[in-house]
Amino acid sequence: MADRAQPLQARDKLAFLLSLVPWLMDHDGAKVSEAAEHFGMTPQQIREAVELIAVSGVPGETDAYQHGDLFDINWDAFEERDEIVITNLVAIDDSPRFSAREAAALIAGLQYLSALPENADRGAIASLMSKLSRGASAAPSQVGVEGAVPSPIDAVAPDPLAPTLALIRESVERGVQLELDYQNSQGQRERRRVDPLRIESIDTDWYLRGWCHLREAVRTFRLDRISNAIITEQPIEHRATDSDVRLPDVLFEPSPDDLEVTIEVVPSAMPLLTDYIPDGATTVEHDGRIRTTLRVSHYHGLKRLIASMPGVATVVAPPSARAAVEEWAREGAARYR
Amino acid sequence: MSSTLGSTSSAASRVPVEERLFSLVLALLATESGLTKNEILSTVQGYRQKFRAGGDNANLERQFERDKDDIRDLGVPLETIDSPGDAGNNQTLRYRIPRGAYELPSDISFSPDETTLLNLAAMVWREGSLSGESRRALLKLRSLGVTADEPVLGYAPRVRLRDAAFEPLSAALEKHLIVRFPYLKPGEDHAREREVIPLALVQYQGRWHLSAEEVVPGARTDSAGEGARKTYLLRRIVGPVEPGKSAPARPGDHAAAALAGLDEVWERGVAEVEVACDSDAATRLGNRRGTERLTPESGESQTRLQLHYVDLEILADELAGFGPEVLVVSPPELREAVVTRLERTVRDHG
Repeated sequence: MADRAQPLQARDKLAFLLSLVPWLMDHDGAKVSEAAEHFGMTPQQIREAVELIAVSGVPGETDAYQHGDLFDINWDAFEERDEIVITNLVAIDDSPRFSAREAAALIAGLQYLSALPENADRGAIASLMSKLSRGASAAPSQVGVEGAVPSPIDAVAPDPLAPTLALIRESVERGVQLELDYQNSQGQRERRRVDPLRIESIDTDWYLRGWCHLREAVRTFRLDRISNAIITEQPIEHRATDSDVRLPDVLFEPSPDDLEVTIEVVPSAMPLLTDYIPDGATTVEHDGRIRTTLRVSHYHGLKRLIASMPGVATVVAPPSARAAVEEWAREGAARYR
Repeated sequence: MSSTLGSTSSAASRVPVEERLFSLVLALLATESGLTKNEILSTVQGYRQKFRAGGDNANLERQFERDKDDIRDLGVPLETIDSPGDAGNNQTLRYRIPRGAYELPSDISFSPDETTLLNLAAMVWREGSLSGESRRALLKLRSLGVTADEPVLGYAPRVRLRDAAFEPLSAALEKHLIVRFPYLKPGEDHAREREVIPLALVQYQGRWHLSAEEVVPGARTDSAGEGARKTYLLRRIVGPVEPGKSAPARPGDHAAAALAGLDEVWERGVAEVEVACDSDAATRLGNRRGTERLTPESGESQTRLQLHYVDLEILADELAGFGPEVLVVSPPELREAVVTRLERTVRDHG
């Protein structure tokens, strides 16, 4: 986990200090590396925190932060063996409560995931949420998220993607290949053999990230474009941990073959397009609209995107891109005449 | 009261923010009867270095005010006690952190299974303020020493938080404040200013909504005559959200109520469309929860689907994106809305 450690803000650092002390009390003589592993920090971040704790304390009766008013550690063990032994404790006995917003964030995250097969026991989720509420220093803020995992047992309507998700989940767990029909945005269907690596989601959209044996590369498959999926007995050949397999954090990765188009968009709609705007793209404000660059892999995607934002986003250049959008919308409108 | 130690400003600048905040929490946890502001500023590490006995400490006092907010934001219950017989006097007001309200109740623990789930729940928030909140929540969870059953490799879930209005609304909800914002209703030319009591922020079908109670002009907001409850789409809030005065208490599980309300609207909203077989529209719309196939797929080039929706304008945007792959059959308003959009796109690109 250490490679995911990020620089911390002052509030994060305080939360960390208040969390680290009780853990150290329960793990007398823990190694710096163990603490780093457990908290998802770098060993250096742990050492700095321990050094700060060791010289902190309360003003005490003399208001002078005298020796007994400060935390203390076994400095020899720390400096020579990277071991953390607290020899004097001050003020803190236990772990802190969650804040109202922290509890709300976790509760809303649990709601979003409530239909995961792993969460089949709804009672367990409810009890977990109530523990978070009781463990917060104030009532969790009112943030709610609709459960978005495709579920076969939804009260309103079962989700048609539930069987596909269950199948993918099983193949990920068993480490076996999948065979599936994948239809692209132009309606063309191809049989693919895939090493499933990860199930991803953005809001209500679900994706499979996997190694595609046809394309010989990691590909992203929308669950709603997958059909006729079956699990094979063939073990997967590529793993998320392989050096030639990279699972990027973003779903839409720029490629050198991308087409660049210039668009004008109303400022409030910019967030809807962030995925398509390359890093470092210049944006110019002009007449209350923002002119910027989009990257798309082909005009099939572009015309759909732009036609779904009428009056909000307009393609300015190149002419071929404008023509593709115009033709798409004109054919659509023609169906009504 | 002892005199200040190391009072030069260069010494003070060497005390990092987290050390000052940590020292403040320790000092306030350690006191039963509380400390006055003057005691804090003159004795606590990070303040005492800057404190001028008998001098002007206005900057330091402002710093203390900000630090109090930061600490409370972390869920640390910093409370104030009025001196008996001297209520309302800032100089004798005492600050402390009561241990019982600070510490996680001892009967709360999390199993390795639950820890796995909470790790996954935290992963959902990777942008906006909620990502920081879940990061800090996980630190506190780790404090309890439980490790997850297995690293969660199989899933990478994510909920978007891209509406500019989310942060100010969420802050107003937290602080129970009335808010004003310009709201652009579809079909209207200009945004109209709304004044509401925020009740909940909910994400439904990928879009963030604010559930709120309208402030009735002239009416007493604490009276029983409550304003209408309305749901606002965050993406239609087209200008800054301005926090105002304190909102009256409105107890209840508003998030659950708002989600249930949206579910009802979704169930009532029914549209019929014809889609080209084997098109992206047929695949995507056909695989949507609640969609019904009205005609069997039997060699025909078109198939008819019945869809549910919450907001006609949003569905119209989405259907327009499918261009000639979709023909709206009903309702007529949706048909009209889609044609208008397509024609607009043609004009804008002609």
